[in-house]
Amino acid sequence: MEYVMHILVMVCMYAVLAISFNLLIGFAGLFALSQAVFFAIGAYATGLAAVAGLPFPMPEILAVLIGGIVGVLIALPALRTRGDYLVIVTLALQIVVLQVILNWKSLTGGTEGVRGIPGLSFFGVALSDPSHFLIYAAIVTALVFVFAWKVGHSPFGRAMKAMRENESAAQAVGKNLLYLKVSTFAVSAALAALAGSMFARYYNYVSVDSFSINETIYILAMVIVGGIGNLWGSVIGAAVLVALPELLKFLDMPTDIADQMRLVIYGVILILVLRFRPQGILPEPRGALHDGEETASAGGNASSLVVGDGSSKGEIVVDAKGLVKRFGGITAVSGFDIEMRAGQITGLIGPNGAGKTTAFNMLTGFLQPNEGSITLRGNSLLGLKPHRIVGAGVARSFQDLRLFRNMTVLDNVLVSLPDQAGDDLGQVFLRPAKVSRQEHENLARAMEVLRFVELDGKANETVNALSYAEEKLLVIARLLATGAEVMLFDEPLSGLDPTTLAEILPVIRKLADNGKVVCIIEHNLDVIKELSDVVYFLDEGRAMAVGTPEQVMTDPELAARYFK
Amino acid sequence: MSDFAIEARGLSAGYAGKTVVHSVDLKLKTGEILLMVGHNGAGKTTSVRAICGLLPVTGGSVHKGARDITNATPASNVGAGLAFVPQGHGVFGSLTVMQNIVLGAFVERDAAKQEERIETVFELFPILKERQKQIAGTMSGGQQQMLAIGMAMMHGPDVLILDEPSIGLAPKFVERVMQSITAINARFGTSILMVEQNLKYAIPVAQRAVVMKTGSIIFDGDPNELTDKVKLMELF
Amino acid sequence: MDLLLQLMMNGLVNGSHYALLGIGFGLIFATTKLVHFAYGPIYAATAYVCWYSFMQLGLPFWAAFGLCVIAAIVLGLLSYLIVYRPLQSRSDSGLVTLIASLGLYTVIENLLGVIFGTGVKSVQGIDSDVFFLGPVFVTSFQLMQIAALILVGGALALFLRFTRYGQAIMAMTDNAEMAQIVGIDTRFVALLVFAIGSAIAAVPAVLILLKDSAGTHMGFSAVFLAFLSVVVGGIGSLRGAVAGGFLIGFVESAGLWQISTDWQSSIAFIILFLMLMLRPDGLFGVKR
Repeated sequence: MEYVMHILVMVCMYAVLAISFNLLIGFAGLFALSQAVFFAIGAYATGLAAVAGLPFPMPEILAVLIGGIVGVLIALPALRTRGDYLVIVTLALQIVVLQVILNWKSLTGGTEGVRGIPGLSFFGVALSDPSHFLIYAAIVTALVFVFAWKVGHSPFGRAMKAMRENESAAQAVGKNLLYLKVSTFAVSAALAALAGSMFARYYNYVSVDSFSINETIYILAMVIVGGIGNLWGSVIGAAVLVALPELLKFLDMPTDIADQMRLVIYGVILILVLRFRPQGILPEPRGALHDGEETASAGGNASSLVVGDGSSKGEIVVDAKGLVKRFGGITAVSGFDIEMRAGQITGLIGPNGAGKTTAFNMLTGFLQPNEGSITLRGNSLLGLKPHRIVGAGVARSFQDLRLFRNMTVLDNVLVSLPDQAGDDLGQVFLRPAKVSRQEHENLARAMEVLRFVELDGKANETVNALSYAEEKLLVIARLLATGAEVMLFDEPLSGLDPTTLAEILPVIRKLADNGKVVCIIEHNLDVIKELSDVVYFLDEGRAMAVGTPEQVMTDPELAARYFK
Repeated sequence: MSDFAIEARGLSAGYAGKTVVHSVDLKLKTGEILLMVGHNGAGKTTSVRAICGLLPVTGGSVHKGARDITNATPASNVGAGLAFVPQGHGVFGSLTVMQNIVLGAFVERDAAKQEERIETVFELFPILKERQKQIAGTMSGGQQQMLAIGMAMMHGPDVLILDEPSIGLAPKFVERVMQSITAINARFGTSILMVEQNLKYAIPVAQRAVVMKTGSIIFDGDPNELTDKVKLMELF
Repeated sequence: MDLLLQLMMNGLVNGSHYALLGIGFGLIFATTKLVHFAYGPIYAATAYVCWYSFMQLGLPFWAAFGLCVIAAIVLGLLSYLIVYRPLQSRSDSGLVTLIASLGLYTVIENLLGVIFGTGVKSVQGIDSDVFFLGPVFVTSFQLMQIAALILVGGALALFLRFTRYGQAIMAMTDNAEMAQIVGIDTRFVALLVFAIGSAIAAVPAVLILLKDSAGTHMGFSAVFLAFLSVVVGGIGSLRGAVAGGFLIGFVESAGLWQISTDWQSSIAFIILFLMLMLRPDGLFGVKR
């Protein structure tokens, strides 16, 4: 019985670790493989503080705080590198940290470790045996689960997933990547440190051997086996990978061999899951679901997203002057001026390499111009980060769509809505009522946006289930959802068949009629003719002509430039 | 022998299961130079890449002569005499010109034939002979484009497909590239499909032209009808 | 001064070792873009196979070495065919193959312990000679490490430069899609580089077995240093991997001049960390 209780304590501890890691890699897509570092720091901090005589729960609080701070430090590599390199860098970092722990003998006891860590006792009952400790472990695990659930299923969690799916697109719908990354690391590290403090209290002994690279891979396997992005999955993954190798106990094997056999089994299971069930035992939940009931309660609120800022038609909203962008020796944009007016559709045409997309990148903060000015109603946008520019009211789409592919259509729109209190992790916990009220309203607004592009019937589908034409509509919906009054479309209609094209054109027209400022890069000149009020002809990085579509397209000189 | 060097019927293609080109019919007659124009995103590149086996064909069929090459691998297409020059510089930038040329004939194991083709390529592009020891990536864009075409000719193809060979080139090189295309067609009877935006230089070379728009062919005829650019803008 | 010369010598020897690892790992990485983490434990496995064949089976040393090269090739090919290739055909393959390689790393490393036991293995009966070059001390095994780099690196350079498939490897490293366009069977080339890259691992593994000993954990730092040599030197370049290997060897040695040996194994990781932070694309600017 003691033995079963011990296993259950292990399941709890690893469930906390797997949950913390899942937030980082599963929700936010930050593959920083250094979770055992946070685990170790929590264990050492608790152990040393408790040995020094601090009463419960001071060591635990200290562990969580130090864990969170180290998490913020380890977020730094993740801000600079990604993919394979982030994995390698964080594995290397883990080696370095473990070596620091090992060599900082005066603090950590070196290879000796920290011994004699006081156990826990409540109301005079010492939690010295597994069955008593299990109660504490289970309570901590439940609290961690609830906390992680709140984080993962809040607007903040949705923004994490958007960042995972596509970083630049997340910026383009107004998300602050720096804040998202740093706070995700802090939360994940703090939770892992809490697991470490459980370790210290349970074993009353901490040494560096318990926190090797293998430990990180072990926790990684739990997350992947259980299901990336699914918190219940992490609990199940921990249970499966803790319990399964215990079956080895029934085979007659020396303990050191059994230990290695255990690791072999983890590795094999990890590879098999990646190969045959990449989504894990429990796949990622679909996110917010539209059940058709919210429409009655809210309703009118959403129309503000579809309507402009009430500026009088024809008023200049965006004014860019003398934009210059150089890449090395090449000048991509050289002295480009553009004005965008309320209620108008501005078309940008020109041959390949004329600088159209570069101009969009400068207008939306994805590139900083070398020279020139950009103002929105007289306020300069220069030097602002993309998410700030979206907040100010200028948003853009991408030629290659960059949808959040593993999220639902509804979530793609929801995550793009502006001014969400729940994007701020503090508000999620301090103002839950406000966040949930907003969430309710936002669901209605998102559905309104989807109805506008006639995708409401597909709200609960993931992007992967959409046709190409529907994806293009979702791009429009997402841009619309940002609430920006200035909307820059980069080739929104390429690759569509004529019938679908005819269906989408009026949608864009309607936006301008509602007072939005629309600018569109398009190579299909029918579309330009049909939609634009004014056309800029770009070549060699500047506007060669500005006029009505007829003027620009019947000019023989421009035509000669267009076809070289 | 079929009248068509390449015949795509109802060709649909795209990326990751999403169709971007819908049911295109495209025929390249044996021995002709066909010019394909159309705006960005009209589906030209997707179509030619699907024909060459670099993108999956999701509907319809592709024949090379009588042979069905729908979804054949690029390697087998090369073996069957279909050469492709991709957009941008279709060369191995870190290798020398000579290494590139020899790699062009990777499927040809006959050393004598290889030698012969190298001579032919050097005749077509004498600059490549001069520069044979140079690292390909350090040459000018125009020279790289000639190398790319030279590599394609090393396969000994009877069909050559070029995706925007003039993109990013200075006018004198565009002219030079177009001349070589005419020369290849005249000398070897190679059927050539050329996707090109640079009409000033491409029209005089082409024997027939098609205009593609939103995934279908909206013009098929004499390239000289496209010389009026204002009219062409209306087609785009 | 003498100490410095001795440290330089050690740097040269260790640098040769890292460079050789970098060449093998880098060949696989550059050509297939796979971070083959299991390269480390495969390297360790070859040392074990050599030890077992020589010490337990009593085979002549050349036969033991031959067997361990074959074992390396088989393990390399199996890794690619069973684990990487099926995953690579999926669209989201980037990190998936890397995670799988970590799984494979765990499996192979621990299987070694299960099969051969966890103790350290060393070879008896082959002793090294000691030479003094002025004040500098060097063993015959150390000289062999340097010679191995020259021989293997030279042979690989000739193969890549002058053979049909050597050129195919260079082509695929440069641009895999272009390689397909000229008719190269890129799947076969991937198998080829896994075979060659793994076979190369057997050489430094056996030399370390002779010089020191083999342990199940020896693969970890090996694959890290290999990766580091490649990243420092620039992916896709044989010369780069060699330069990277030597750079690490010398920096490590120079570090020991001033820093306590407790930190020796951290030096390389700190270099890697700083390197990727400051120059995420490698020291000599990685292609693409």
